[in-house]
Amino acid sequence: PAIPEGMPSDSRTNKDGVLVDEFGLPQIPAT
Amino acid sequence: MAHWFHRNPLKATAPVSFNFYGVAASPAANKICNDLKMTRARLLEMFTDLTCTPEIMKNATDAYFSLLQGFIASLDGTTQENKMRFFQNFKWTDTLQGNTPSAQQDAVFELCSMGFNVALWHTKFASRLTGKENITEPEAKEVHKSLKTAAGIFKHLKDAYIPRLITPAEKGRDLETRVIDTFIVQCQAEAQEVTIARAIELKHNASLIAALAFETANFYQKADHTLNTLEPDYSGKWRKYLQLKQHFYMAYAYCYHGQTLLASDKCGEAIRSLQEAEKCYSRAEALCKEYRQTKGPGSTAKPSEQVFFLKLGGLIKNTLEKCQRENGFIYFHKVPAEAPQLELKASYGLAEPIAFEFPPLSDQCTPQTYSTFDLTRGSKDDKAKPKQEEEVKPVKEPDLKPQKDTGCAIS
Repeated sequence: PAIPEGMPSDSRTNKDGVLVDEFGLPQIPAT
Repeated sequence: MAHWFHRNPLKATAPVSFNFYGVAASPAANKICNDLKMTRARLLEMFTDLTCTPEIMKNATDAYFSLLQGFIASLDGTTQENKMRFFQNFKWTDTLQGNTPSAQQDAVFELCSMGFNVALWHTKFASRLTGKENITEPEAKEVHKSLKTAAGIFKHLKDAYIPRLITPAEKGRDLETRVIDTFIVQCQAEAQEVTIARAIELKHNASLIAALAFETANFYQKADHTLNTLEPDYSGKWRKYLQLKQHFYMAYAYCYHGQTLLASDKCGEAIRSLQEAEKCYSRAEALCKEYRQTKGPGSTAKPSEQVFFLKLGGLIKNTLEKCQRENGFIYFHKVPAEAPQLELKASYGLAEPIAFEFPPLSDQCTPQTYSTFDLTRGSKDDKAKPKQEEEVKPVKEPDLKPQKDTGCAIS
């Protein structure tokens, strides 16, 4: 298996480079 | 959110003693057989143990699979099949086929069947967690993760091990493509349901929620269509569940799409979208009734009694009334006859299966020990005696205890 790139609770970015949470939702809700 | 997810029953299996009589011709080979028996029995116990956590399940799973692979992987440096692969018979029932078991004398069949149950356990663990009152953020993450883990296990079995079976699974059996594909897509869709609930709670924008709800509805539709060539007497109930979820999330998609349209001053189209949401919601309500009245395997969910379900009805009604009011005062738009075509692509929140790998081979399974399994020493007498058929008893699963529903605040 691939080596994980970070800790599970770390924030990550999606394919468009937007910071997302563990559910894949943007970190900052854009209402 | 108790009883939100439909769950098919766990697979049941006949006990396996791994008594290889003279074949296991060394203490190390005998130890492998004893440990296989013990770790298998323990893993089976874990499936119905309410105190079992994903970590305990992983330990129990690794203990058994790391040994079982000693009967599958190549241990003599050749490309030939492991000589032990076809030595032991395994019996498993299927989630949709009642107590009639399938039997195969193949360790790969055992690996696939047991792995399938591990995946089912993860879906049931997720379902139990959603049954808790006031679900917390870490619990929501656990539900989300468990469903993606289950999807990953199903997918790995489908891609890497089921194609290795000598006898392909019969129609409607668990290891058949249609059934396992449906499980994969259902797990992804259910994980996305958690994300939708969170997106609503965190007040993400309406277009994000509409797109994710639309894709989730499509997942449910795909899962339902995958089953449409199976017999309705065992797939009908499951299909009703998939259909009701499809319509429920289409209602969500139209409702939030309507909000997006209103925000861009397209009030007539917004009204039409909300009217379509009402239609989908009514259909979902009707399907909930049909689902509960349909006989078939699996625990019956009660989604229409959930606050999350009921809230949507109110939201559609209020948003539609708001749109109609604003149209009467400000916009005076004509309401189109056709519902808006939803061509929404979700950029956020799609759930991908978590890649799954079986554990590495146990240290006990060395080429030296493997060479001490001597198939020529199998007791002929024992093979000649017709063994009494082992009965496969259905798994007695712990009940889901419904709790007061608070609407599942995930934030």
